[in-house]
Amino acid sequence: MRFRFSFSVLLLGAALLAGYAPAARAHGLAFVLNSAGASISVVDMSKGAEIRRIPVLREPHHLALSPDGRDLLVGDTVGNEMLFLDPASGAVRQRLPVADPYQIGFSPDGKWLTVTGLARNQVDVYDAKTMSLAKRFPLASMPSHLAYSPDSATVYVSLQGTDRLAAIDLSRMAIVWNVPVGKTPAGVMWHNGRVLVADMGANTVEIVDPADGHIERRLVIGRGAHQLFLSPDRMLIYVNARVDGTTTALDAKTLEIKRVYPIPGGPDCIDFAPDGKLWITQRWASKVAVLDPVSGAHAEVAVGRSPHGIFLNARAE
Amino acid sequence: MLTLFDLAAGWIQGNVLVPLLYQFDLMEWEDLAYGWALFVVYGAAQVALTFAVCLPLERWRPVEHWPDRKAVAVDVLYTVISRVGILPLVTFVGFYQAQVALNGFLTDHGWVPPTLERALPFLLGHPVLTFLLYVLILDYSDYWRHRLSHRIRPWWALHSLHHAQRQMTFWSDDRNHLLDDVISFLWFTAVALLIGIPPLQFPLLVLVLRFFESLSHANARVSFGWLGDRLLISPRFHRAHHGVLAAGQRSCNYGANLPWWDMLHGTADFSRAYAETGDPSGEEALATGGYLAQQWAGLRRFGRAVMRRRANKTQGGAPALSRR
Repeated sequence: MRFRFSFSVLLLGAALLAGYAPAARAHGLAFVLNSAGASISVVDMSKGAEIRRIPVLREPHHLALSPDGRDLLVGDTVGNEMLFLDPASGAVRQRLPVADPYQIGFSPDGKWLTVTGLARNQVDVYDAKTMSLAKRFPLASMPSHLAYSPDSATVYVSLQGTDRLAAIDLSRMAIVWNVPVGKTPAGVMWHNGRVLVADMGANTVEIVDPADGHIERRLVIGRGAHQLFLSPDRMLIYVNARVDGTTTALDAKTLEIKRVYPIPGGPDCIDFAPDGKLWITQRWASKVAVLDPVSGAHAEVAVGRSPHGIFLNARAE
Repeated sequence: MLTLFDLAAGWIQGNVLVPLLYQFDLMEWEDLAYGWALFVVYGAAQVALTFAVCLPLERWRPVEHWPDRKAVAVDVLYTVISRVGILPLVTFVGFYQAQVALNGFLTDHGWVPPTLERALPFLLGHPVLTFLLYVLILDYSDYWRHRLSHRIRPWWALHSLHHAQRQMTFWSDDRNHLLDDVISFLWFTAVALLIGIPPLQFPLLVLVLRFFESLSHANARVSFGWLGDRLLISPRFHRAHHGVLAAGQRSCNYGANLPWWDMLHGTADFSRAYAETGDPSGEEALATGGYLAQQWAGLRRFGRAVMRRRANKTQGGAPALSRR
């Protein structure tokens, strides 16, 4: 009790200091992809508990909301299948055979869907409306994360099995450049006219010139820097580090470190709840950490084995 | 449900494997390493469970008493290598890559990769039922793999290492020639690719199956009764397969978990009880040599069998298959 009381006082104090008024607990569903459990955990966000599982064939890793918000696409890599879920209920609307869908992402203009095939060393660009394959780019090796330029002209793909980042021109359907950017490039993000690349084989995020891929400077984050996420208010960038077990908040304008949160168990993907909390998958802990960025405390929700991609249908906009 | 196995695998991943991968610039394999960690944890649990149950059984009702158990020590090494060592890594990575290559190829060409759940959609969402169906198919295919490993002379030359053990215990299940293991792996992979087996989805049930395979080799007077022996393979049933009279190309009781396939194909023998085990036709090194000596002796025997097969072919001699 004493601990709880002290913790509450601390939380309230911190919230007041930060000018942050915690909203009522978020309502809605969290969909968590259990990559080693062949399932999708459906979590009741208000209760902070898993309520059911959606079975999938083999190995779901990443997901993306369709541009019209109607479908939640889930890639099952080993199952070679793309699932189309109702983002409100989780009901499976459609299953489509797609080769090795690892990371998936729609271009900002909604025209293209890029699918990285990490195990098959390929990047597929689909027409997002018809789901027909526009072009396949064989890219060795292990193409993993992706990010678009805001004008949807270029998609940047990290090649995790090498030290390289590739830029694909979507109007010409051609690889513009493919250059070394670090040891093991993973997460990619477009930010303020630059491409940020998290280097999982090091402790850095590289700031890359999108014109030719040369590294302008490096930010030291934490060992095993893996993936980057922009907060809904666009004020912060969160970077997860797999080896150190941390989530680092960067000032989105200056890229200075604002705060480092210890998140054990291999922090990976993040989604943002309307109450300001971060839902972070913990790959080796079979849990999702629900981090209050103000207090720095996190609760944990048990899900399936090796939780990877996450989507909150009550997300903040 | 979060299990102790997941926690243990997660601990190994976070505290051992990932720091090592980071140190040696191999972080791209970090995701696959977790799968391997799960295999290692379940393998260790298999060994621990088997040890905890079978050792008391062997002490309680032993079939045979031996003045020393030196020959058993090698079987312990086989078990450790097979279940928690390098073999799970090779098997896991090998099968994973084969599955990715084949299924991706099929998807690219407009085919849907085969899985039981796609063939029988009602299975999706019923993991236990799905698993039991996988078990039936894999156990049946393993019956034929095992039966052929006795019938084909060069293959029997390798498999005879498994049968050479005169001090058969629960540790003997993994006592195999490496080439025999490779053939078994290829056999399993071919079948698994056809039906799309997902081993990581059912680790606990795989653990139970492997436990029963080990139990069937135990040096224990254990039978499941008239009916039980016909439902699940007992130490009594499988010992008949390892009996000196059954060693070689004409054997009986080939099944691994279910005796149904032997009953179906007329190779079941429920009459033999607790025979002496071993292979009188094999050289002594296969029975009592160290690990490397056994592997080398198996390879020599394999070489001789291949040469004899070639000689028979060139002379128009008898085929290498026995009648049964």
